[in-house]
Amino acid sequence: MDILASTFFDWGVNLQLLVSGLALGAIYAVVALGFVLVEKSTAVLNLAVGEFLMLGSYFGVAFFMERKTNIFIGTLVITLVMALFGLAIHYGIMRPMVGQGFFAIVLATIGIATVIRAVVQMWFGPLEKGNLTALPTGTIEVAGTSIRWVDIIILLVVLGSVGAFLVFYARTRTGLHMRAVASNIEAAAGVGIDPDRAYAITWAMAIGIAGLGGVMLGHFTPSVNPALAAIGLRAFPAAAIGGFTSVGGSIIGGLIVGVIEQLAGGHFGTKWREPVAFGILILVLIFKPTGLFGQKDLERV
Amino acid sequence: MTNETVLQVNDLTVQFGGVVACDNLSLEVHQGELFALIGPNGAGKTTLVNAVTGIYEPKPGASVKFRGRNGEMTDLLAYRPHQIARMGVARTFQNLGVFDAQTVLDNMMLGRFMHEKTNIFHYGLFSSVAVKKELAARRVCQSIVELLDLQDVRDELVSELPYGVQKRVELGRVLAMEPHLLMLDEPMAGMNAEEKQEMVRYVYRIMDEFKTSVFMIEHDMGIIMAIAERIMVLEFGREIATGVAEDIQNNPAVIDAYLGAEH
Amino acid sequence: MTSVTETATPASRQILAKRTPTWMRALPFLVAIASPVILDKISWNPFGGWKLLVGFLVLVGIGWFAWSNAEHDPDDPRLSLKLWHRADQRALAAVTCFVLMAIPFILSTDWEPPMDFPWNSWFRIVNYIILFALGAGAFNLLVGYTGQLSMAHAAFLMIGTMVGAQVGLIWEQSFWLCLPVAALAGAVLGVFFGIPALRLRGLYLMLATIGVHFIILLVWKEYIVHQFGFSGMRFTTPNLPSWLHWIPGINPEDGEFLINSQFRWFWVNLGITTVGLLFIVNVVRSREGRAFAAVRDRDISATLLGINVPRSKLVSFALSSALVSVSGCMLSYYNRARSEDSFHLELVLDYGIIIVVGGFMGIQGAIFGSIFFFALPMYFEWMREELPIISDIDFFSRYAGEIDLAIRGILVVVVLVWRPDGLAGLWQAMKKRALLRMQAPRRGVVQ
Repeated sequence: MDILASTFFDWGVNLQLLVSGLALGAIYAVVALGFVLVEKSTAVLNLAVGEFLMLGSYFGVAFFMERKTNIFIGTLVITLVMALFGLAIHYGIMRPMVGQGFFAIVLATIGIATVIRAVVQMWFGPLEKGNLTALPTGTIEVAGTSIRWVDIIILLVVLGSVGAFLVFYARTRTGLHMRAVASNIEAAAGVGIDPDRAYAITWAMAIGIAGLGGVMLGHFTPSVNPALAAIGLRAFPAAAIGGFTSVGGSIIGGLIVGVIEQLAGGHFGTKWREPVAFGILILVLIFKPTGLFGQKDLERV
Repeated sequence: MTNETVLQVNDLTVQFGGVVACDNLSLEVHQGELFALIGPNGAGKTTLVNAVTGIYEPKPGASVKFRGRNGEMTDLLAYRPHQIARMGVARTFQNLGVFDAQTVLDNMMLGRFMHEKTNIFHYGLFSSVAVKKELAARRVCQSIVELLDLQDVRDELVSELPYGVQKRVELGRVLAMEPHLLMLDEPMAGMNAEEKQEMVRYVYRIMDEFKTSVFMIEHDMGIIMAIAERIMVLEFGREIATGVAEDIQNNPAVIDAYLGAEH
Repeated sequence: MTSVTETATPASRQILAKRTPTWMRALPFLVAIASPVILDKISWNPFGGWKLLVGFLVLVGIGWFAWSNAEHDPDDPRLSLKLWHRADQRALAAVTCFVLMAIPFILSTDWEPPMDFPWNSWFRIVNYIILFALGAGAFNLLVGYTGQLSMAHAAFLMIGTMVGAQVGLIWEQSFWLCLPVAALAGAVLGVFFGIPALRLRGLYLMLATIGVHFIILLVWKEYIVHQFGFSGMRFTTPNLPSWLHWIPGINPEDGEFLINSQFRWFWVNLGITTVGLLFIVNVVRSREGRAFAAVRDRDISATLLGINVPRSKLVSFALSSALVSVSGCMLSYYNRARSEDSFHLELVLDYGIIIVVGGFMGIQGAIFGSIFFFALPMYFEWMREELPIISDIDFFSRYAGEIDLAIRGILVVVVLVWRPDGLAGLWQAMKKRALLRMQAPRRGVVQ
């Protein structure tokens, strides 16, 4: 590994990788939040999150590249449309499937993912699009290295919106309902909370946030293409390192994995990205079987 | 400690964080007797059974000695749960440990698991060895099905049966293990008087036919006083009294702690 | 309320107790005897000459198999140890055997114009269905029966392929040696990579096994680049061992009997898949299989029955991985070429779709699922090309792949929402209903 010798101690390169790693990590955090929200409240692992992000990016192409919509309006519309998709998934698929096994529901989300991928390819064609440029594209000099504005904005936007979500989740009445249903659905229903409504809101928010993440992803990558959906899979370690049931943990997990992946990819070549991320995941799971911040469920005998 | 002792527990303490579920308990179960453990909810009864069967780990200093069929004493604390089960300690669960998705017969066949050991290739190829083992297990299970009057539901899924019958299935499953010591965790909870009577009859039949010692946790004082040879009373993890039924009934501490609340 | 369900006699036993009419039991036998005659009458004689006699004997064997033991006492435990213990099951098994034996002959015949479908491409599909059924069955043993949500499936396909390449291509040994070596390697590595399962469960195990997938994928890429370069592997055509050449019908050309046609591959695939699936079925319905299910449903209860839960999990991992590895080796030899990106993680999800759509609780599900997975796109393609209205629409042919993908996704969701027990469950419900209907008029009102 001759690359190692040349760049490993180059702090400029490291800083660059660190910032882009944080931006990537922010996107992972969004995806991980999509996993965790749905998994925590409805006990469904939504494997279609990556596809929803890709869909968000393609909506970004439709709005910003083809119609030159204002970035704020476009993002808002995309988020709302995606939230509607979330509602449709809840009422159309997940509610009829209540009571089925974990794996069956996971595969239903894979069915959804397949449909999204097919529809996107039919709609936008198989060729890849350039990346989105609605956000400022220049760079900024920090400590002798140039850092993309996009990376910084992505980091800030994602942290801001996730923070807003956390406040919503912790402080509002609806957030309280969502948490109550997540921790014990029967008890929540017993005190008059409508679990169905809480689930619907959870799905809408999870998919809506994925749409927002998709717009950011479209700015981050060099090109918007169907392969972007793989980000869903790559964000797995992020969600799991944070602990699959902790909303805050997923953010930290996302940032950790993003930085590690960028550093590993930058120094050793991109083929090491997944093995390193998942290797760290396995290590974490060996020592803490429910992730760093996950709850351990007690079993009564 | 006599030759008749099947199970001897000494200085058993189980702690969960700050809560002491079992506080320095000692007890002895004799060969062929029905030993009952009673106490209010949260007294640590189930915890005791869990510690004996190896699911919970007690604090150091405890000893749980068990005399198997072959007459040798072993300390159960050194073994893992499945090894303890293989020595002949079988138990039922307070909240049912039956396998819902399987038939009654398959549940009983699971009880025979440790008695029909062969190489997996025999089963994969269904060789004559495997057939012989399976048939032997089925004969035993069939006789237990008849003993517990489960013929009519033999091939039904357990989840489709009423609660009382499920409890009986669980009893049948531990019987199939041919246990030396049977630990029943509230076998009659949630049953009506008639079902309870039936259950008592089955337990007696088991003790008669298999010469099994029974360790039973139960809430129904009337039944316990009638059937148990010796009784131990727990409260908040501590032993209050141990003795035969009359002694327990007249023990002031027990009346205060347990019976007093009911009468 | 005195309905049939409350009489406490399950439907299966009612059917058992009922004597099957003689003509029904004799039917497979009669079909067997008659079939050569029928084949001869419609002037299509794929067996030809003495092969007619062999075919006849085989069919008589099937008939005998269906006939025998159908009349035993239903309460005799020995009967229920039979894999197919009811008369209807045996008849169905016989019919399945018959169909399976007829398929290659039908597909390899040159048909006259009204029947001239692209049979040869169907042949490929049939072979894939058979090979995927083995992998899916092994996957289901782990995921469905033992409840260990593993995503390292494609990893073991890779291991099987690497073993096949190492033993068969680099060491130049026989294909028939590759299979047991692949099984062994799969079992050993299966135990090794099953170790996380002792500590993790559900979702977390799934994630750890995805990690295993990526680690093995890295090894695979390194291996293929170093040993075969960027053009990937080209597998040789397997040869039937010479000591098998005495079997009539096997005519070695130049001292070799190469498995080089779809027709020949069919028999190899069918044989190995049948052995593998029967092994799984037998394990599942006996002691170890019951322990697997117990570990899946309540591991603490299982422990207290004397089941060594870690051991059971590892046995399941070993067995499943061994068979997956064998199927990976077979698939690679059948497929001829393998490159760096032949094994995506999506492949695991494809197998997942196969077993869940086919039906979780049974090996039947693996077979139904494979048929669903492969035959459906083929059917759509045929529709697009042949049906008058559909073939005219330009959109359909332009986005053929995407439409197939979309329809498959929709069907997966529909099947899962509509029938949680999958196609196998649907099939069984249909069979049960048909059997009950056959009984009902003669039986009258129960009670």
